[in-house]
Amino acid sequence: MTRRLGPMAVLVLALSACGGVASASDPASAAGSETITLYTSTTQETVDALLAAFGEAHPDITVEVFRAPTGEINARIAAEQREGAVRGDVLWLSDPLSIQQYDADGLLREWTPTELDAVPEAYRTERFWGTRLLNVVLIHGADIDPAPVGWADLADPAYADSVAIIDPGFAGSAFGALGYFATSDEFGFDFYRDLAANGADQLSAPDEVVTGVAEGRYAAGITIETPAQAAVANGSPIEVVWPEPGAIAIYSPIAVFEDAANAAGAETFVDFILSEAGQTIIGDSGFQPIREGVEGPPPQGEQVAPDWPAIFGQSDELLEEYRSIFGG
Amino acid sequence: MAERAGGPAVGAWILVAGALLLLVVLPLVTLVANALADGAGPLATLASDTAIEAWRHSVLVAAAVTVLAVVGGVVGALVTERTDVRGRTLLRLGMVLPLLVPDFVAGFSWLQAYAPGGLTDDLAGVSLPWLAGPIGVVAVLAAGAVPLVYLVVASGLATRAEPELEQAARASGGGRLVAWRTVTIPLAAPSIAAAAALVMVTSMNAFAIPTLLGTPDGFVTMTTRIYRDLAFAADSEAFSRVLALSVLLAGSTLVVMGLADWLLPRATATRTGAPSSSAAGFRRGSWLPAAPLWLYLAVTTAVPLVAVLLTAVTRGIGLPPVPANWTLDHFGEALSSQFATAIGNTLLLAVLAATGALLLGALVAGLGRRHGGRTLGTAVSASFAVPGTVLAVAVLLAYGGLLRDTLWLVLIAYLAKFWALAHRPIGGAVDLMPSEPMHAARASGAGVTTATRTIMIPMLWSTLAAAWLLVFLFALHEVTMSVLLYGPGSQTMAVLILNLQQLGDPTVTAALAVMLTLLTLLAALPLLARRRLLRRLKWR
Amino acid sequence: MTGRSAALECRGLHLAYDGQPVVTGVALDVLPGESIVLLGPSGSGKTTILSAIAGFIDPIGGEILLGGRTVATAERSVPPEQRRIGVVFQHYALWPHLTAVQTVAYPMHRQGMARSQARAEALVLLERLGLADLADRKPAQLSGGEQQRVGLARAIAREPDLFLFDEPTAHLDTPLRAALQEELAERRARTGIAAVTATHDVAEALAAADRVVLLRDGRVIQVGTPIEVYEQPADLWAARLTGPASALDATLVGDVAVGVEGSGARGEPGDRVLVRPDWASLRGNLTGTVVGVWFRGPHTDYRLATSYGEVEIREAGPPGASVGATIGWQLHRAWLIPAPGS
Repeated sequence: MTRRLGPMAVLVLALSACGGVASASDPASAAGSETITLYTSTTQETVDALLAAFGEAHPDITVEVFRAPTGEINARIAAEQREGAVRGDVLWLSDPLSIQQYDADGLLREWTPTELDAVPEAYRTERFWGTRLLNVVLIHGADIDPAPVGWADLADPAYADSVAIIDPGFAGSAFGALGYFATSDEFGFDFYRDLAANGADQLSAPDEVVTGVAEGRYAAGITIETPAQAAVANGSPIEVVWPEPGAIAIYSPIAVFEDAANAAGAETFVDFILSEAGQTIIGDSGFQPIREGVEGPPPQGEQVAPDWPAIFGQSDELLEEYRSIFGG
Repeated sequence: MAERAGGPAVGAWILVAGALLLLVVLPLVTLVANALADGAGPLATLASDTAIEAWRHSVLVAAAVTVLAVVGGVVGALVTERTDVRGRTLLRLGMVLPLLVPDFVAGFSWLQAYAPGGLTDDLAGVSLPWLAGPIGVVAVLAAGAVPLVYLVVASGLATRAEPELEQAARASGGGRLVAWRTVTIPLAAPSIAAAAALVMVTSMNAFAIPTLLGTPDGFVTMTTRIYRDLAFAADSEAFSRVLALSVLLAGSTLVVMGLADWLLPRATATRTGAPSSSAAGFRRGSWLPAAPLWLYLAVTTAVPLVAVLLTAVTRGIGLPPVPANWTLDHFGEALSSQFATAIGNTLLLAVLAATGALLLGALVAGLGRRHGGRTLGTAVSASFAVPGTVLAVAVLLAYGGLLRDTLWLVLIAYLAKFWALAHRPIGGAVDLMPSEPMHAARASGAGVTTATRTIMIPMLWSTLAAAWLLVFLFALHEVTMSVLLYGPGSQTMAVLILNLQQLGDPTVTAALAVMLTLLTLLAALPLLARRRLLRRLKWR
Repeated sequence: MTGRSAALECRGLHLAYDGQPVVTGVALDVLPGESIVLLGPSGSGKTTILSAIAGFIDPIGGEILLGGRTVATAERSVPPEQRRIGVVFQHYALWPHLTAVQTVAYPMHRQGMARSQARAEALVLLERLGLADLADRKPAQLSGGEQQRVGLARAIAREPDLFLFDEPTAHLDTPLRAALQEELAERRARTGIAAVTATHDVAEALAAADRVVLLRDGRVIQVGTPIEVYEQPADLWAARLTGPASALDATLVGDVAVGVEGSGARGEPGDRVLVRPDWASLRGNLTGTVVGVWFRGPHTDYRLATSYGEVEIREAGPPGASVGATIGWQLHRAWLIPAPGS
């Protein structure tokens, strides 16, 4: 008296067997190949494209990816430290301030990438190197009139309760922006105080700001240029503005962990990202490549940035002051 | 009438006790030990405003959701079981269908439908600005809890003797509503109370909807606070708060469960009338009583799901969802390499969890009333009450060192959580099974194991199948624990969708949500097609 | 299993349910080929005793022997599957997922018989009980009477040394009841296997038993042949249990000069005598007022109010008097009911 397995059951079992077996087993057990683990806050599409190309160039290296917003990566590393050892090999974040904190703790490996010269000096240190530039810009709904043209416009009563910014505790780009605004003479923390007084909302991710403005929930917002341009290309009713005095250019740094299990493989990966091949893919993904001569979205105006080395080490104070204004 | 325990029973007892120890006791003890060892830290964080506020929010939400869900579920049950409404079968199905939508998809779908910038805003300029915030959290949680209450109360109404008792009330001069108020509902009180306790606990432990609808507004509950502190914060104060809140959350849940167990009458139904056959005596009646229910279902489930579908096929955010803007590109984006891994993980975990939970649940149910069997059964049920968030933290602390980033870690948490889910219906069916068929088998020469194998298990087959499917479905939806325990390569579809949603671009998220919901519907078809199976899932 | 050992012996049997004693100090013996009926109201412990004999529950005191071999004491017991008993259950206890022939073949499998052979023998058994056409039906497709007969076939298939029938006809409609009782009697006569039947149905008990055991609240009140328990019940309660009974004042006997049987001689004032409906008849020197007339078909029952109490009299044929009439009656026989405590 046995019931036959229905077709659905067979399908489920087959699918799960195929998909699951590979992931349940230890990643390093695949015979003949080595593995590196990448922690990154880069977008999934960029990562997928890079991994595909890297896989072709180095078929013997498998890359395990943990892709998450900066805040989540920070928590993961903290948890691993609590348990005794960090498990990642490569760390690729969205802003220099976040990665510098790990450098200060001695978690990053010092070495010289083959492609060192590709990275301008302003965008590197001995232990981490910029891979692309994230341009933090202003966006507003297509039908907003008058439209904001500069950062200071966001505090205008015309946009009261209708501005979206990103929480620097979650997203590296916002942390980088915080670094710029807080230490610039023109803006300082008063910029944030004015925004808070004007009822600005704090969201968790660049895409959220884009969505919010596109759906009409917010009149304007601060976000990264790339997802905004992608939405414009899809026909979303928003406009991207390079504000006065300029878009905030934040370099996205990559590094190898000091205790990386597979340091050699990690270094190979970093070299690939900085190479012409890797930089081309980054350009194709809609980000401004760090390497000169590689095609990518050109800057649409002036770019500004804080003096990164000068503010390394101030991360905690900056965040604390920010929290006193915006909470979270 | 305690039967003397035989050999197989002792073996089963050891297995069950061992599994309970490994899966539940050890992690929880580790959690408490960590909390205590952390010194005054956790205690200090408990007194902080953050923690108190989170606790208050959790309790208030749970209370509000329970009240709303009980009202909705009881009304629905009365309509389908006690009126001559037309299209009863369809309505029964409709009341239960929302259970198939994962709660994070439900929360996401309400946003797509009713939030500013959503479907109703596009079509009619109407939106619910309070959707992101405590009211929205309560509303969506309640909508998801009504089917639970409905299931419990409707099955209670369908199998008890009220039709005759109600007829007696009507023959004594009361109208239909009076009969419901004075006879039906009081007699259904145990079912209603049990359902209420269940909803109270699940809402206090809810994670996905408070994350989606509460966090953007700054409305934090215990579960979302723990999640944020564990997944996004890197300082030790946050970790202390995680420990403290986990213990507090578990404690609150246990208090509610304990109160419910203590207050609820342990009555088994005493039948004073003839067994009811639910189809008897009803003419083909009117649509009228069903209309409000269908409207409710449309608003809470159908419209939001349509909104998700439209978002998934609309080219760009902010564009009106008209056919001119439709595209299948987002589904293509969703089918990246991550998707394949995630779906494989999800299915494998669901199959393993369902099978494992079924075996464990059957073992406990089989021990039944024997020495210590009842205690074990209670312990297993108690483990279901442990909030998913807390269980995940506990499992992480206990086994994270060994098993971090593997599917096994997630599986352990699933088994601990879903064991009771399988055990309850099986235990209930075993309790209800008359002893005579087994006695007849023994008297015909079969030993205990043979009799169980040839008689009891075949007789319970539909319950076993229903229990397996139930755990399978819950595992497909599970996000609360998965989101705290996953690593590279061990993402599930639910985690994938939640993460994508948090990134802010709803289009690909919507595409994945549509695919997951379809998958769940497919898997649930056997359960829905055989109503007999649904009836087997009575909770108490 | 031969020889002079009793098929069943219970010595000082004490049984409990949920911690409460339900059977106290019961002693029973069943000789090979004998049919014993446990007669008593619901709650008297008869089903519990059967369960203990079968091995579904264990005694808390005393012992049970089957075929001279101890199978249960308060310390240890032989499991049911190792006792050679055949049980027919009150609610049939058929297995919903097995057909009739599979059900009957089940005990044969357990004894190691091969599948095909068991099926063949099961079919033969079903044929003998007139159930051959129903062989491949499941219980849901069988009527109550058919289900009960399949249960009987299953018990027979066990080839037991003792049958246990638990209220076998309780849930059958009247015509089926008689038919099943006949069948059981015929089977017993043919096979000569001992049987213990539990029932609350007096007619069934008196008809089927070699000896009747009266049970009340878990205690044995009386053991005797059907005629003994009918004509010489141990007390008033037993009298009422075993048939229609009128309890009249004992002075009646002195007045009527009828031979009275029973312990003691004439009896004291305040004693009662048992009068069965067929021990009195209408027309006679005694007088009474008719307070009730019931036409039963073959006979009519009359209830008369007399100076000694109310008496029920049964007469063949249709009613010959109406309510309210004063008529004469006479007594043929009486039995002195021992007073409680004597």
